[in-house]
Formats: sequence, C-alpha cells, structure tokens
Amino acid sequence: MSKFDLTVNGVRRAVEADDDTPLLWLLRDNLGLTGTKFGCGVGVCGACTILENGKALRACQVPASAAASRSFVTIEGLSPDVSHPCQSAWLAEEVAQCGYCQAGMIMTACALLQENPNPGDEQIDRVMSDSVCRCGTYPRMRKAIRRAAQEISSKTQ
Amino acid sequence: MITSRRDFLKTAAFSGASLLIGFDGSRLLGAVQTNAANSFALNSWIRIDGDGLVTLTIGKCEMGQGVRTSLAMILAEELEADWTNIQLIQAKPSPGSDLGTGGSDSIQSSWKPLREAGAAAREMLVAAAAARWNVDSKTCSASGGGVVHLPSNRRLEYGSLVRDAAKLSVPENPRLKNASDFNIVGKPTYRIDGPDIVSGRARYGIDVKVPGMLYSSLERPPFAGAKPKGMQKEKARAVRGVRSIIHLPRGVAIVADNTWAAIKGRQALAVEWDDPPNNAFDSDEHWKRLEAAAGETGFITREEKASPGTATVTKTFDAIYRYPFYAHAPVETMNCVADVRGNRCTIWAPTQAPERLQNQVARLLGIAPTNVDVNITLIGGGFGRRLGVDYALEAADISRSAKAPVQLLWSRADDMKCGHFQAASVHYLVAGFDAEGKPVSWKHTKAGSFHNISPLDPKEMRDTAWYQDWSWGCYDVPYAFPTIQTAYVPVDLAVKHGPWRSVFAPSSVFARECFIDEVAQGCKADPLAFRLEMLKGADVIKAGRTTIDRRRLRRVIETVRDKSGWGSPINDGRGRGVACNAYFGHTYIAYVVDVRLNQDNNVHVERVVAAVDCGRVVNPIGVEQQVEGGIIWGISSALKGEITFRGGAAQQSTFADFAVARMRDTPAIEVHIIGADAERPFGMGEPPVPPIVPAIANAVFALTGRRIRSLPIRPEQLKEPA
Repeated sequence: MSKFDLTVNGVRRAVEADDDTPLLWLLRDNLGLTGTKFGCGVGVCGACTILENGKALRACQVPASAAASRSFVTIEGLSPDVSHPCQSAWLAEEVAQCGYCQAGMIMTACALLQENPNPGDEQIDRVMSDSVCRCGTYPRMRKAIRRAAQEISSKTQ
Repeated sequence: MITSRRDFLKTAAFSGASLLIGFDGSRLLGAVQTNAANSFALNSWIRIDGDGLVTLTIGKCEMGQGVRTSLAMILAEELEADWTNIQLIQAKPSPGSDLGTGGSDSIQSSWKPLREAGAAAREMLVAAAAARWNVDSKTCSASGGGVVHLPSNRRLEYGSLVRDAAKLSVPENPRLKNASDFNIVGKPTYRIDGPDIVSGRARYGIDVKVPGMLYSSLERPPFAGAKPKGMQKEKARAVRGVRSIIHLPRGVAIVADNTWAAIKGRQALAVEWDDPPNNAFDSDEHWKRLEAAAGETGFITREEKASPGTATVTKTFDAIYRYPFYAHAPVETMNCVADVRGNRCTIWAPTQAPERLQNQVARLLGIAPTNVDVNITLIGGGFGRRLGVDYALEAADISRSAKAPVQLLWSRADDMKCGHFQAASVHYLVAGFDAEGKPVSWKHTKAGSFHNISPLDPKEMRDTAWYQDWSWGCYDVPYAFPTIQTAYVPVDLAVKHGPWRSVFAPSSVFARECFIDEVAQGCKADPLAFRLEMLKGADVIKAGRTTIDRRRLRRVIETVRDKSGWGSPINDGRGRGVACNAYFGHTYIAYVVDVRLNQDNNVHVERVVAAVDCGRVVNPIGVEQQVEGGIIWGISSALKGEITFRGGAAQQSTFADFAVARMRDTPAIEVHIIGADAERPFGMGEPPVPPIVPAIANAVFALTGRRIRSLPIRPEQLKEPA
C-alpha cells in the first residue's frame, strides 16, 4: 500500500492504494467519482476514458504508481453546468440512450477535438470506433461531434 | 385482471402540502390498499407540491428506451403541467405490483392510466380554482401548471391549489384531451435525464455505494455441475484488502475492501475446475439436433387450409435457415449491491424484473418477499439480460455470508460467458406455387428452445398459444398463402438461455423475410413488389392472438420503396435489400438497406431507409433513437460476433472475440414515421430489431448472388462464386 498524490479536475487528492490499482478504481472507489465507468477492464471498450493534458486515456490501463503526480480530468470536471461544447452538443443532438458509455464517448470526443478542432468524418469514425455503445447511439454521436466542432470554431474565430 | 374504474384512480390525499393521486401502475392490476395513510405503497402516484413541483413515481425502469421522458410527457399532457417542473422517482416493488419492464410494453400499457390520472388531477385543480373564484369551472382552463379564469384572465398556479384540490373526490370519468389539442405528446422532446448523463451524475447500479460496503468478485463454474479441483487460498488471502473467501453453490466468492482487491484476489485464487465431461454442451452438436428437429412435425401453431378446388402445387421452394447464439453484452456488466441483515435484505440493482428479483431473493434467504427492499437503479443497457436475476441472488448469497453490504461486480468475461444467451434455432421453410405461378402454400417450422432462466409456472397450459409465444415472426406470417402451416419443435438446451432484444422474433423474421426474398426471386419477381402483392386480400388478418393490419404493413413498405428510390439503378458495387415486420401486430417497420463489400470482403451497410408505424407517437426523438439503435443492434448480429460453446462453456469473453458494431460500421439512417396520429401508441424498444438483419442479408444477395442462410455473415461465405 502506498500513498499517491494526483490531481483530478483541478483538485489535488491523496489516495492510499496498491501500486497496481488501476486509476479507474482510484477514481471510482477511493475518490467517489463514479462518472467514469467500468466496461471491460482491458482497454477495449472506452467506457473509462478520461483526459490528461487534453489527451484521452483509458483509466483502467493506468496503474496508481504511474498516475501519481499527474493531473486528470474526468466527466465530472468537464464543466460545472454541462456547458462544454461536447456536452451541449450531446444534449442538442439527443445522443444518449442508456447513457452508460456516454462519459467515455464524450471524453474521447473532447480529446479528438482538442487534437483536431475540425475533424473529417473518417477521422471521427476512426477515433470513436475504439469505443463501444451497445444502444447504438453512433449516428447521433457523429452529429454531436460535428456540432461541437462548429461551436468550438465559432468561438475561436 | 382489469379492475373497475373505481379501483383504478386510487385516492386523492392531502399529504403535508401536496395533492397526491395514486393509481395502480400501468397494468391495472387488482386490489391495492387505498387509504391515504399508505398511498406511498402504491406503484405509481402523482404528487403536486405547494411549490408546484410535479413528482411522478413510475414503475418502469429506464434502460435507454427513454421511458422516463415519454411517460412524463403523457402525464404532463393531460395534467397541463409545466414541463420544466417535473421530477421522476423510481417505484419499488410492493405486494401485487408488476413493475417488470420488457416486451416493448411500457408506452402502450401506460398510455391510458397515465392520461386518466393526469386528467383527474387537472379536473380537481380546475374545480379548486373555480371554487376559490366562485365561478363556473367551465369558464376555467388549465395550462402550463396553472388554472386560468378565461373571462377575467385571472390565474392561479397549481401549487397554490393543491390544499383545496386534495379535499375533493377524484372524478370518476375525467375527460381526456382531444388529440388535436396535444401540445407535448408528439413533440420532439429532450430526455429528462440528459444533463445527468452528460455530466456523469446519472447513477447506475455499479455506482451505488452504501456505508460499510464491501466488494466482491465471484468465480463461477465454467459449465453446469463443475466442481473446483483446487485453488490457491493462501495466495488469495495474501492479497491486501481481501477479507474472505466464500464457498457458495454458485461459485467461490472473494470479498474485499475495494473492487481491485476483489479482482486480484480472484485471480490469485486461480480456481481449477473439473474437466468437462465428454457430453458437455457443444454448439456444433446442438446444431445437428436443431437441424434434425426442424424436419419434425412439432406443435402446429397455425394451420390454414385452402378451400377445396384450389390449384395443386407444381413448384416448391425450400430452404433451411440457422440463427446463432448471441450474448447481450451491455456495457454495464451485471452488478448488484445486497445488504442482508437477519430476516431483512436491501437490494440495489439495475433490474428489469424487480418482483421476480424480490421473490427469488426472498426464497433464497428464506424470508418474506416484503422483507426484501428492492431499489431499482438506472440500467446501463438492458436488452432482456436484466430480466434474469442471477446476479442479485449471487450478491444476496455473498452478503449473507459476509454479514455486510456487498457489491458484486461481474467482469466482462463473466458477462460474456455466464449470462443467459439468445438461443440458437433452425428454420425449415417451404413455399408451393401452382402451374400458373400462383401462391398455394407456406410452411415454416422453427426448431428452438424456450427460456430456462426462470422457473415457469407449472400450471401454465402448454397449448397452441404457448408454442406460438416461442415463435413470434413465424406463426404470424402476414403473407397471403391459401394454405399456411407453422410449427414449433422444442429442443432441449442445457446452457442458460432467455430473453434478448426482441425475444423470439429476430430468428423467425430473419428466416421468413429472407425466404420470401428467395421465393420472389424464384418467381422472377421484384422482392418489394412481391411482398406488396402477397399482402393483398383481407386487410386485417388474425394469426393466433395477433391481429395484423396489412394496410399498415403495406404502407411502411410503400414508404421505404418511395423514399429509398427502390427500383432505380444504384451505384456499382452496391446491393439493395428489403424486409418488413409487424411486431405483434402493434408496430410495423420496413427497411431498405444498401450494402457494399469492403476490400477485405466484409459487408458494410452504407444506408438504411426505415419506415415505422408505431401508432400515436409520443416522442418522435425517442422513436428515431430506437430505430437507429435497433439497426445498429442488427448490424452487430448480422455482421459481428456470435457465441459458440465447447465443453459446456461459451468460447467468447471480450468485445474482441464477440465483436459488436462500432461507429465505423454505422450507416446513414433515414427514419420516416407514419401513422403518428393514430389513437394509441405502441412500443419501440424491440420492433426495430427483427427486420434489419434479413434486409441486410437480402441486400448481400442482391450484391453477390449468394443467399445468406446463416449468421453472422462472414467474408469467407462471400468469396466462393455463387
């Protein structure tokens, strides 16, 4: 058991855990941030996707020892009022069905738009295809990402 | 059992500063205590508080079908409530309640009771306002959460009227609004829980935390009856955070301080199980049994004989179709929090079957069902999987031994391998035509297996209707053959199998809609025009308990024909297919699908044009979402993973070996809703699924000349020349 300091959503947190505890369970069990979901535990479904410096990473694949001293953003930290362009676009396009995978999807989309504020359809499909939605919300997700991209570009102009 | 009107609207009560109207859920079940003191034991009630907040307690669970929104819309419509001031609370099972959610039943069964309850509350509030003003209530009108006296334009908000309204008796026959006056029902409406979902605040079963909760992972026998040969208990105990190892009839559980310790402890335990016996379940062997059974007579589920003198069959077509095993694979794996204390148990579970869960947990623990308090959480994908209650029984068993509240979480592999599966089936179809090419006979025999995940009522009559229930999409063939014989041959199936999205329909509709395409081809007819031709004759037909309105089916087919450009040339390398279905005679859907082959010979669905008639539309966004989701679900089953068994165990364990559709597999989708002004609504969760797979298969035939008679469609099938 070791003590780790990490920053989540701008707040420095101290947790005690085994070195190999995946960040996913630190977030969920230790810090009570349950917006980040478990789906497979092996990095293939994308439900646990969070951000670090704007880049997407799978919280189930980062052991506590490697997470120490780093700074992450989870769905809870995206905005205080669902005003992030991805969140508002998700609502405007009415993407969610059961909603379970959507935090991971939104974080994946945030990272995509951070990397390329104006992605083409092919890039959207490629990046988002690393994640699973069993309800089949993909058509609306595509539209939401295009909408968020537009909103981001209109803000930066 | 339908109760009288008097029993239906249970009570109006003044509770604190609220108007409370209880009613018995959505299914109009029998006697429930109705005095004001225990109104909260009713399944459903409307509460209007002094501040105007409307609270609707609903029995139906939310698993992505948007039911919390659509049911609230129905209520708000009749209540003339302020849509922005409504909250929902999940009901709990109670004696006599029936909160099960499945069968695309919620909208159609809730429509009338919710409207009547909303209208009753509205009339009471209007009467209270009229009395306050000392005017005739006919001169008052309700809107936006308040009552207006029309001649004087005075207005009172509902909140200020609840105290008076609660003293009035509930109207016996509240007047429902005319559909032409609807201003919420039928309007595209955003999900009530959307902001919670996109902010991570939505709480699913897996998110439940209760004080003192421990965490558990359960190692289950890999096949029925397997016994552990050995395990590394010391190693498991050495994992920090592991508290105990519990032997249960259902497996060996690790109980730990946190999720990761439970997972690691289970890995360290490294249970070795018996080798499977030689006769352990094997899906290849099962296919042989199914194929043999499909040639038997079985139970005749529909028999219509042509009148004497009808021409004799001179030409027949026949084919055998195979429909495989599938898993549900919701992204939220099975989980449950159970807290067993003495003769009481509290459960938090993402469940579609709260009463079944309550009763079975009570039986397991030897306590009264009323001592099992069931809290229904949001569900991260249901699809019929959470009509099974296995995971709740496991959690209760573990909590009893651990003497603590315990959260049991299934791994992805547990979820893929240990759930109840969509059962495989084999279909034998024969169509006969006379010398002039006129249709004479249709035969469809389904060999398959009924659910074995819940003990069935032994009193249940296994009559024709019972067997019909095993073969939706088979006995209710809508096409006009003078002679029709459909049959069901039950085949024992040792592995767990049960409801999956659209239950028994997908296999039968796949076989029927592909075969009718084959028959059209054999008759040198256009497959879409052939279907329309075969839907002539009587406009309304009865098949078992199902009434099929062929006009509605023809209309969805005509819509996709016109909207898709059916019959006009399509681009090189594309194939176009069609299929349709009448789900229980309730919801009618037709698809036209365009496919192409990728470089690796994998089928890609490029475009889907859908026409849907689900009766009165409550929320058009919800209808579109379900069509889109049903299409993606069908793409998974047409083109992605299947489950196979060796040695009694499923061989797949991840989203890699049981693949599901991803965004790159998603076609352009057009949804055309028709018949939305009908009198009553029907469900949409399941109906979009059955016809999409045959539409894809028929498009693949149009492109490649190869008939698809088994699933999923593999590139190898398409390589050899047709």
